[in-house]
Amino acid sequence: MNKLNENQGLNISENYLVSPFYVFFIIFTMQVGIGILGFERYLVEKAGFDAWISVLTAGVFLHILVWIMYRLLQNGGGDIVHIHKQVFGKYIGGFLSLLFAAYALLLSFDVMITFIEVIKVWMFPGLQVWIFSFVMIGLVYYIVSGGFRVITGIALISVVIGLPILLLKFFPIQAGHTMNIYPNINHSPGQILAAAKQSALSFLGLEFLLIFYPFIKNPDKSKKWAHFAVFYTTMLYFISVLVTFVYFSEEQLKQVVWGTISTWKIVEFPFIERFEYVGIAMWLYVILPNICIGIWGATRVMKRIFPVKQIHFLRVVCISLFFPVALVAGRDPINAINNFAGTVGYYVLLYIPVLLLLKMISDKVRKRYEN
Amino acid sequence: MWKWMRKNKKKQGGQKPSYNQSDTLPEFIEVLGHSEDFIQFELDGMTRCTVSYLKTMSDSKILNRSVLTTLNSHALHGLKEIKETIPVENVLITDDLKVIQTKVMFGYIMIQVKSSMEQVLLVPAVSLESRDVSIPEVEFSVVGPKEAFVETINTNINLIRKRLPLPQLTVKELQVGKMTSTRTAVVYVDGIADQDNVDTVTQRLQDIEYDQLIDSSFITQMIADNAHSPFPQLLDTERPDRVVSSLVEGKVAILVDGSPHALTCPTTVVEFFGASDDYFLPWHLASVFRLIRLFAVIFSVLSTPLYVAVLTYHFEMIPPELMATIVSSRSDIPFPPILEVIILELTIELLREAGARLPTKIGQTIGIVGGIVIGTAAVDAGLTSNVLLIIVALSALASFTTPVYQIGNTIRLIRFPFLIGAQLWGLVGVSMCMVFFIGHLIKLQSIGRPFFEPLYPLRFKDLKDAFIRLPFTKQVDRPVLMRSEDPKRMNEDRAKAKRDIDE
Repeated sequence: MNKLNENQGLNISENYLVSPFYVFFIIFTMQVGIGILGFERYLVEKAGFDAWISVLTAGVFLHILVWIMYRLLQNGGGDIVHIHKQVFGKYIGGFLSLLFAAYALLLSFDVMITFIEVIKVWMFPGLQVWIFSFVMIGLVYYIVSGGFRVITGIALISVVIGLPILLLKFFPIQAGHTMNIYPNINHSPGQILAAAKQSALSFLGLEFLLIFYPFIKNPDKSKKWAHFAVFYTTMLYFISVLVTFVYFSEEQLKQVVWGTISTWKIVEFPFIERFEYVGIAMWLYVILPNICIGIWGATRVMKRIFPVKQIHFLRVVCISLFFPVALVAGRDPINAINNFAGTVGYYVLLYIPVLLLLKMISDKVRKRYEN
Repeated sequence: MWKWMRKNKKKQGGQKPSYNQSDTLPEFIEVLGHSEDFIQFELDGMTRCTVSYLKTMSDSKILNRSVLTTLNSHALHGLKEIKETIPVENVLITDDLKVIQTKVMFGYIMIQVKSSMEQVLLVPAVSLESRDVSIPEVEFSVVGPKEAFVETINTNINLIRKRLPLPQLTVKELQVGKMTSTRTAVVYVDGIADQDNVDTVTQRLQDIEYDQLIDSSFITQMIADNAHSPFPQLLDTERPDRVVSSLVEGKVAILVDGSPHALTCPTTVVEFFGASDDYFLPWHLASVFRLIRLFAVIFSVLSTPLYVAVLTYHFEMIPPELMATIVSSRSDIPFPPILEVIILELTIELLREAGARLPTKIGQTIGIVGGIVIGTAAVDAGLTSNVLLIIVALSALASFTTPVYQIGNTIRLIRFPFLIGAQLWGLVGVSMCMVFFIGHLIKLQSIGRPFFEPLYPLRFKDLKDAFIRLPFTKQVDRPVLMRSEDPKRMNEDRAKAKRDIDE
């Protein structure tokens, strides 16, 4: 590949760039997905009601990670494909980028099947998954084919529409026992860290910055928004955890799969009850940007590696996602996929600092070699 | 079959670019001679010449008083002399067949002399028959100006110019339509409107390939960025005051001869819910009315789908007290909610169509007969429930609150996909539909500018005049959307100069 091709796709014309401000929405909406509906249970399994410390710990870790990613991107100039190529060369780098694309697809896939599972459990036990996933993938295709700007728009709308749902946290607080949180810190740091690892899985998504970084206008200014997004997500999870702890007892929470949805059940207005139906319907707005950014990111990486149009990849990906999404069913396989995606994501997060290290070494070696 | 037709059309276009072209002047005269209203006679008096014109298009007063009297009372030789003597403005001599054709077709009198058959003299004697300027009927407002556009473009430009006496107000004319050659004007304020917008509009108008242009709504569809969208991407209005305020904001207006509606662009979806009334009322009142209108639209689109979704799948959501009311109203109904809703919605659409096609007075009667008689009868017969009747009637009423007629049509039809979604997957289906439309709106563009604008891209400056209207003193900047070359409306410091007590 010659020099011209190497930068192909990196110079994005200004019409397709987004303001740094939107990084907040993209990262926030990418992080908050299906996880928040039921992540409390996994935390409690590890660290009991001390898990709120774990959430904060994970938040701090993510802030450091954002800093690392910006370091990586600013020095590397461009996206992860470019960095991989610089560090590992064309073939190994390309292969690693492809793995990253596969990971992005895995996240989208995971979100989709989990959402369908939620709908099946809470709303329609007899849901015709084939038709539903067909329509949903069609919707995703429509949005992703509009490009990154449209996806950003959906992310913005998702945050705006998703925000009022947070106010519902007020109801369980009214009904809860604040005393629940008090017998504090009776778990070992090891347990708390294990729970932090567990909660980091719910925070997955900010690594997509490595793909969409070239689409940000004045990327330097987007730093504070990225940090702000991570901070906001951490606070959101923190409050969610506290509210759930206030509402459920520790033993009960271990039995509840979807903690947050369960707390919606008690919401009552004079004209509406059983708010979880509205909540789940609204949750479509929250998870859709997740799926879209995942698929967009995966196809974008493929486009950067192979000289084929992104729209073709998008079609192939949509069609090939359709069958597994429609076929996977049942709590156990979905749980397994969730765990698998979480573990992979955890290692991806760990890989980013390693990548920075390798990059710095390779830069040094190259410099010495040139001299 | 359609493919074949398209191919055929292309071929035709390639062979003969234009219908109304003759090759020579005699040929043109011969073609016209087939019509009874084409008059051609020779003058043998003091001036020898041939006068030809279209009787139905030319003003006989100018012909008799100015042209014929001059020709008969002076001995004139050559077109130049005639031109100098005839007391009519803008007389021109030309041998350009294209000019001759268009001018004669618009009512110019053509004078030829024997010595030079190629060159002709054209005397403007256009008789413009037009309706008087009347009050706006589609976009009525209680206060504010009561003038609406009419079908003649000259009158319409006059209505704009007299409100905006600026030399920078530029009118560019184009002819659109292969057969109709309709006069189309692009109006903008030079130095305020973005030149890119003007160029885009002009370019798109020039690129229109069609034989006819009957109304401005043709243009809305033809130059739209996405012609398949149910949303109109150019705002059409019949109010000159609205057009003028758009021009001052830096927008571009398009006027079409023969259409009493002007188009303004770029526009946003929010703008369709703003009425000109909003600027005639104090800002807080106007803001509240705007919000009511917006709520009405949302209600109109979502109420019946939500009814279907909740009653079909999620009846647990209804509190027990309310459930009693709904159950008692629905207990006799043999249909599922979706069928019930579709029957009633279609009835309402039927009434609307019938009312729109009939003369005003009969239309009202039909509305009352349909609304009251059919509604009550349907409930009595146990075909629909009272609750639904109220909801459907309210949503129909709410859809009438849109100040711009075009978007009203969109709202009328948009709720049917939502109904399908609601029937398929309840609330999830409704929100899927909603996501689709939001995605669609984000994708849409109006003359290359984002259609969903103050919301996405999020521009707080433009939100000052979107869902709410802040007072005029706060509207310092022209909307960012227009990328105006002169973004400030006024001197901010002077407008905001604060006075102390007793000063």
